[in-house]
Amino acid sequence: MPTTYQFFNIENLSISFGGLMAVDKVGFVVEQGSIFSIIGPNGAGKTTIFNCISGLYRPDSGKINFSGEDIIGLKPHTIARLGIARTFQNIELFSRMTTMENLMLGRHIHMKTGIWSGATFYRRGSRAAQDEIKHREHVEEIIDLLDLQAARNQFVGGLPYGTQKLIELGRALALEPKLLLLDEPSAGMNSEEKQDLIFWIKDIQDELGVTILLIEHDMKLIMDISDRILAINFGKPIMEGTPAEVQKHPEVLKAYLGED
Amino acid sequence: MDMKRDYYEDIQLLDSRILWFWFIMLVASLAIFPFLAPNYYIYMANYMAIHVIVTVGLNILVGYTGQISLGHAGFFAIGAYGTVLSMTALHLPFPIALLAGAFIAAFFGFILGLPALRLEGPYLAIATLGFGMAITQVIGRWQVFGGRMGIEAPDLSIGSYILESDRQLYFLIVTVAFLLTLAARNLMKTRVGRAFIAIRDSDIAAETMGVNLTFYKTLAFAVSAFYAGIAGGLMAFLLGFINPSSFNFILSIYFLAFVIVGGLGSIFGSIMGGVFMTWLMLTLDKVQELPYLGSILITFSERWMNLTGLPNIASIIFGLIVVLLVVFEPLGLYGFWIRTKIYWKTWPF
Amino acid sequence: MFLQLVISGISFGSLYALVALAMVIIYKTSEVPNFGQGEMSMLSTFVAYALLVTHSHSFIFSFIGALLFAAALGIFLEFVFLRRAKDPNILSLILITLGFQMMLYGLASWKWGADQRDLPFPVSDFDVINLGTAVISYLNIATILITLVLMFMLFLFFKYTKVGIAMKATQQNVMAARINGIRTNRILSLTWAMSSMIGAVAGILLAPIATLDPNLMLDPLLKGFAAAVLGGMTTLVGAALGGYMLGVIENLFGGYISLEFKSVVAFGIIVLVLCFKPSGLFAKHYVRKV
Repeated sequence: MPTTYQFFNIENLSISFGGLMAVDKVGFVVEQGSIFSIIGPNGAGKTTIFNCISGLYRPDSGKINFSGEDIIGLKPHTIARLGIARTFQNIELFSRMTTMENLMLGRHIHMKTGIWSGATFYRRGSRAAQDEIKHREHVEEIIDLLDLQAARNQFVGGLPYGTQKLIELGRALALEPKLLLLDEPSAGMNSEEKQDLIFWIKDIQDELGVTILLIEHDMKLIMDISDRILAINFGKPIMEGTPAEVQKHPEVLKAYLGED
Repeated sequence: MDMKRDYYEDIQLLDSRILWFWFIMLVASLAIFPFLAPNYYIYMANYMAIHVIVTVGLNILVGYTGQISLGHAGFFAIGAYGTVLSMTALHLPFPIALLAGAFIAAFFGFILGLPALRLEGPYLAIATLGFGMAITQVIGRWQVFGGRMGIEAPDLSIGSYILESDRQLYFLIVTVAFLLTLAARNLMKTRVGRAFIAIRDSDIAAETMGVNLTFYKTLAFAVSAFYAGIAGGLMAFLLGFINPSSFNFILSIYFLAFVIVGGLGSIFGSIMGGVFMTWLMLTLDKVQELPYLGSILITFSERWMNLTGLPNIASIIFGLIVVLLVVFEPLGLYGFWIRTKIYWKTWPF
Repeated sequence: MFLQLVISGISFGSLYALVALAMVIIYKTSEVPNFGQGEMSMLSTFVAYALLVTHSHSFIFSFIGALLFAAALGIFLEFVFLRRAKDPNILSLILITLGFQMMLYGLASWKWGADQRDLPFPVSDFDVINLGTAVISYLNIATILITLVLMFMLFLFFKYTKVGIAMKATQQNVMAARINGIRTNRILSLTWAMSSMIGAVAGILLAPIATLDPNLMLDPLLKGFAAAVLGGMTTLVGAALGGYMLGVIENLFGGYISLEFKSVVAFGIIVLVLCFKPSGLFAKHYVRKV
């Protein structure tokens, strides 16, 4: 029993698929306002942990506590309402919507328009129209923050990969999450875009006060911004510590550079 | 990069004076039409308006939410029978009966939406198809519903007005179609519609962004069924008589064909699809009366096919249109419209 | 009475099983439930009729002629339309097959729609064998036997022939099959030909008990589809079992509970099964990866 109040922690999380342990007794604590990264080779079970947190998979055992509540067994949309948003490794945008509409969907849980008021609005003062206008202003701030003005009214399906990744980030931010899960946000970005990304993630942490859980392959990016790092391999935790500690750990080196 | 002057512009129906002008022209011509057109064309317009309602409703489900329904004739039937029986058996006034029929259809839509939560693609197709079949079977075998012989629609009155002729019906049907189309368009521009589209494009992302899949998928079915129910209720009075065989499996496919031809995920497309296909349907019904083509087809039929089977040519043409559109222009008529617009805008380059 | 119901249930179930097999073979390769299946069989049956009655050929000749026609029709539809789809998602593929359905239905109704016909069949539906409390007609026996033989041949085909194995490979992974030198496009054509022929057999076996008109296959198609869903769209054995189960259950329901709602029961079962086992009784459930 943790005696102090914890923002987010996982205890003994395990899940297997057809006998294969994808995640095996993983546990960690994330401090509020910090950036916590999970690293590991492909297939180590990183995304599976994310899928358990956002409720897409149901773990076999273990606990996931968020703001003092066990969120295992809750539906994904309920978990989103609690304030956990995420991005996906293989972009899951609404490809036949514009950037604006994608971000507006991020406001879904904060908006109130129901079926009746939505269908019957007829003027600026109508409830649905007011609701739209209010939340559009919020979305506009995110568009400005992430420099997405050029893409605002474009269908996202045809936009460059890096931009799509940013839109996903923006959509997650629109939800005003307390905890943000980023699944390989820099994949497919060039070094300039990566620089911007580091800057934004820092911004999100500092200015919006969002706690970030990050999966990344780019070591430089991870070492730059993480407060703590968990390394896993074959679903099992190898070690957890500060960037400096993790960098020196022999097991981590082995997992990444191969055995010599 | 374009700067937004006003957030309301994104959702308002008409954001320029020119559009207002055309909109008013449209309303005016719709209002004048029944006084100028011969009776047959008014009847046809009624038919079109009813089909537009179904098509818009079905498009909400298929085009916007990405679910398939091969059983919409079932909801159509529920609306028709619900409305008529509410009037004859429960003696409800017409407007309430129409809503009652539509809400019963919506309720069944909700029920059908429940298995749809766990079903995808072919499995959903068979479940909805089975539903549609079951509805007509049940109606055809239950004496309450008039059995195979069907039932007659009662006299139609709203308050003290009695609507008898096609022209009088026109004002009712077209008004309802007009309002429901606007409502659908509004709905798709705001929160609920966005949730539908999100489910279509990526249900996983939608639910991790807080969209309750259970609620919105069943809601999409219910809304779609509501539209079909209203259309069915109106159809009962346009035809004056309904029997189970008017709501068979083929009709469900026709409805789907309307949506495809108009364009998936486009309200304007649904209007075009409903209007064009209804025109085609009614015209092909009397294909032998067409100038030139009619006599050629008659000769051809007598020589190679069978004259009495000639009206079935409608089915061939519908099928061909659906296949060709899906293969070559998945956006349907709406796609053609967009391309023509772009062509003229950029003309002569 | 129970035995009698089961026997005729199995006989009908055989036809459902054939349609279900035809569906599943295509579903596994093209990943689309072929709603045109029924009309393809119906049209082939009419071809058999035309050869047999209108042009007075022998039964065997007409039967083979109909099968060849069915094969050609299957290849034609796949090659001319399905393969050309610009955006081959599940919805548009389903719609293309629905389009086939409409075209073929219209064509048959134009040519033969006017009146109902009988397809003379060399085996009689009226001569029966007594089995104590129940009887079984020669036609029923023929139906059951022909179905079993066909299934056995399919089994051998997929198990031992090179083409059959190539077809299985294509069903599992088109890319990998192509890399390994399988001409997947030919396999695709062949699949449609095979499926269409199986469907045609079902149509020709059904025609003597039903009346031959363009609506011949509407009900069997839906039941066959339902059977495939019941057993699982991805397993041949499951689909066949689903067909037999559906035939028997439906008949028992009709005999003991309500003849009126006999054909509704199929869909009731399907919806129930799908609620609890979304991939059918005999297929593994597939979880989408994110």
